[in-house]
Amino acid sequence: MLELHNLTRRYGDVLAADDVTFEVPAGRMVGFVGGNGAGKTTTMRMVMGVLAPTSGEVHWDGTPATRAVRARFGYMPEERGLYPKQPVLGQLVYLAQLHGMQAQPARRRAVELLDRFGLADRVDDKVEELSLGNQQRAQIIAAVLGDPVALILDEPFSGLDPTAVDQMSELLREHTSQGVPVLFSSHQLDLVDRLCDSIVVLHQGRVVAEGTSEALRADAPLRYRLTTTGDTGWVRGVAGVTVIDLEGPTVLVEPQDERVAQRLLTDAVARGGVREFSRIRPTLSEIYREVAA
Amino acid sequence: MSTTRTLTPPTQARPAADAAAPGLRHPWKLVASREIQVRLRDRNFLMSTALTLVILLALILLQGFLGGGSMSYRIGVEGGDGTRIVAMAEQAATAQDPAAELVSVELGDASAVEEATRSGDVDYGLIATADGWEVVDEGPTASDLELVLADAARTDAMTRNAAEAGTDLGSLMAGTSLSTRDLTAQDDGSDGFMAFVLGFVFAILFYMSSLMFGMQIASSAVEEKQSRLVEILSAAIPVRSLLLGKVLGSTALALGQMVLIVAVGLVGLAFTDYDVALPGLAEGIAWYIPFFVLGFLALACVWAAAGSLASRAEDLQSTTMPLTMLLVAVFIVGINLQGIWRTIASFVPVMSTILMPMRILEGKVEWWEPVVALLLVLGFCLLTIRLGARLYQRSLLHTSGSLTWRRAMTLQD
Repeated sequence: MLELHNLTRRYGDVLAADDVTFEVPAGRMVGFVGGNGAGKTTTMRMVMGVLAPTSGEVHWDGTPATRAVRARFGYMPEERGLYPKQPVLGQLVYLAQLHGMQAQPARRRAVELLDRFGLADRVDDKVEELSLGNQQRAQIIAAVLGDPVALILDEPFSGLDPTAVDQMSELLREHTSQGVPVLFSSHQLDLVDRLCDSIVVLHQGRVVAEGTSEALRADAPLRYRLTTTGDTGWVRGVAGVTVIDLEGPTVLVEPQDERVAQRLLTDAVARGGVREFSRIRPTLSEIYREVAA
Repeated sequence: MSTTRTLTPPTQARPAADAAAPGLRHPWKLVASREIQVRLRDRNFLMSTALTLVILLALILLQGFLGGGSMSYRIGVEGGDGTRIVAMAEQAATAQDPAAELVSVELGDASAVEEATRSGDVDYGLIATADGWEVVDEGPTASDLELVLADAARTDAMTRNAAEAGTDLGSLMAGTSLSTRDLTAQDDGSDGFMAFVLGFVFAILFYMSSLMFGMQIASSAVEEKQSRLVEILSAAIPVRSLLLGKVLGSTALALGQMVLIVAVGLVGLAFTDYDVALPGLAEGIAWYIPFFVLGFLALACVWAAAGSLASRAEDLQSTTMPLTMLLVAVFIVGINLQGIWRTIASFVPVMSTILMPMRILEGKVEWWEPVVALLLVLGFCLLTIRLGARLYQRSLLHTSGSLTWRRAMTLQD
């Protein structure tokens, strides 16, 4: 399990990361969300030990993460790059060796992964000769090649086509199913929603929301949309109900609680036909917009 | 067996970080070997090395062809007296260079000799005058020929004069010999010119290597910084190992290239007429190698730091400027210093790589002088390596824009 304890990084007067605390349990996939400049990359670099925190600690299995432990984390930095003028396979093997792998197994595994991502016939091509999407695939392979105990991936999905997104998701799932904790940042909220067991929302360096997407939704205010056959202006008069938006037969309301919501429905039925009465489940983007506002 | 298995509590499939990690004992070796492999596959590097060797061999051959050619002339004479003088001159010339050849052509009278010289039938003409001899030529006479002909004419005339005076040449010349002795030269009679040329070649080699491989270290550093590969690398291995591998790999390459060039040069020289049996040569080369390596190492980490200051390859020009200027200055000043200043400068780190081998080749050093100079450059090396490593570590992960040297010094981790 990977734990971040009060990670803080100060640049002059700016707090790029402010007391960031959360955990990535073994075998779980945690999505790291936040706007540009929210501090995701800074936090991930501190997790990797690439950047020294001003204060705070990163723990692995309950003890502060040492360099040896971090050397076994798979990492994909924000800006992509491998050696542009070196053949793909060669440098993947080199990077795996730096992580302590032997050359032969590293080569076998790299070829296997390249094959899986459809790059089998490009192994001897220079990286700069690959398309951006394929460079990205090679980068992902570099991150998972060294038999990592944890994966820290900064925007792993950006620039990937839908096929590659699926391949990538599957690869990540394989790792979580083996107990590897995965932390990845992304702006593609629907993707995060679909893939992640839990989500951490960062805003201006601070964690503003954290939890499973279910829990985050549960925290969101209770909202219903009611559409009746007639005008819904009467809803304004119902006690315990706040009207968010009203447009002719349709009204968006925030009832105090579930009981008030049910009473509202009974009232509506009593006043005439009800076309729709539905609970509004906020999308992750809506939750995100709310907490990051 | 199966019962035991069922009793075993389910273990986590996740590999334990500390147990499974074989750990890379010497990550710098891997970095260095990559650095070397990449360079050895780099067509530009291979081509430039090959080109250097070709130019070197061409220069040696050209030099051998131009400078090492033996004297060979056809000389027109009027009659027997002239033939005798030319024969004597040839004898004197072959004593120095067995391949020398002077052929006399008897043409009858002075005007025929002049005519033949003018038409190019003979290279020179030798004509008797009232008080001796005259060499005719179109343009200036080759000095080596003039020397042996004058000698021959004088000896011939003096022999005759001596006989007329009732004595012989030997008694006449007794006590007239004048020889020279160079007090600064050692008994081994080392060749100052050859020493200078070799020393100069060594200096150029060091200058070029430092510049070329230094630039390569810097650009390799910025390549990793620019592509953010350095984040993956520094998460896997300590930045110090990365620097060490990079610097040692490049040093090995620079040394290898230098040895190759010197070896090819020496072999090439052995095939020319040049006598390269310089007494200080073996010693000079033996000392040159450690001076080269340490002089290179002294700047290598600073080159890496220069690379890490840049944020893009395009910035390299400006961040490496101080180093380039320094090398140019060391080279220009080094080869132009004279006297006591030269002796002093031959102890100054980096400058010593240029000057100390020169002085050793000239055979003018005490045994302790190169030792002291080497120790000084070694100490300087330790200093620059620490400084360079510190700058490198600090600025490598500094991603927002290019740094100045001054800012990098004050940068925090």
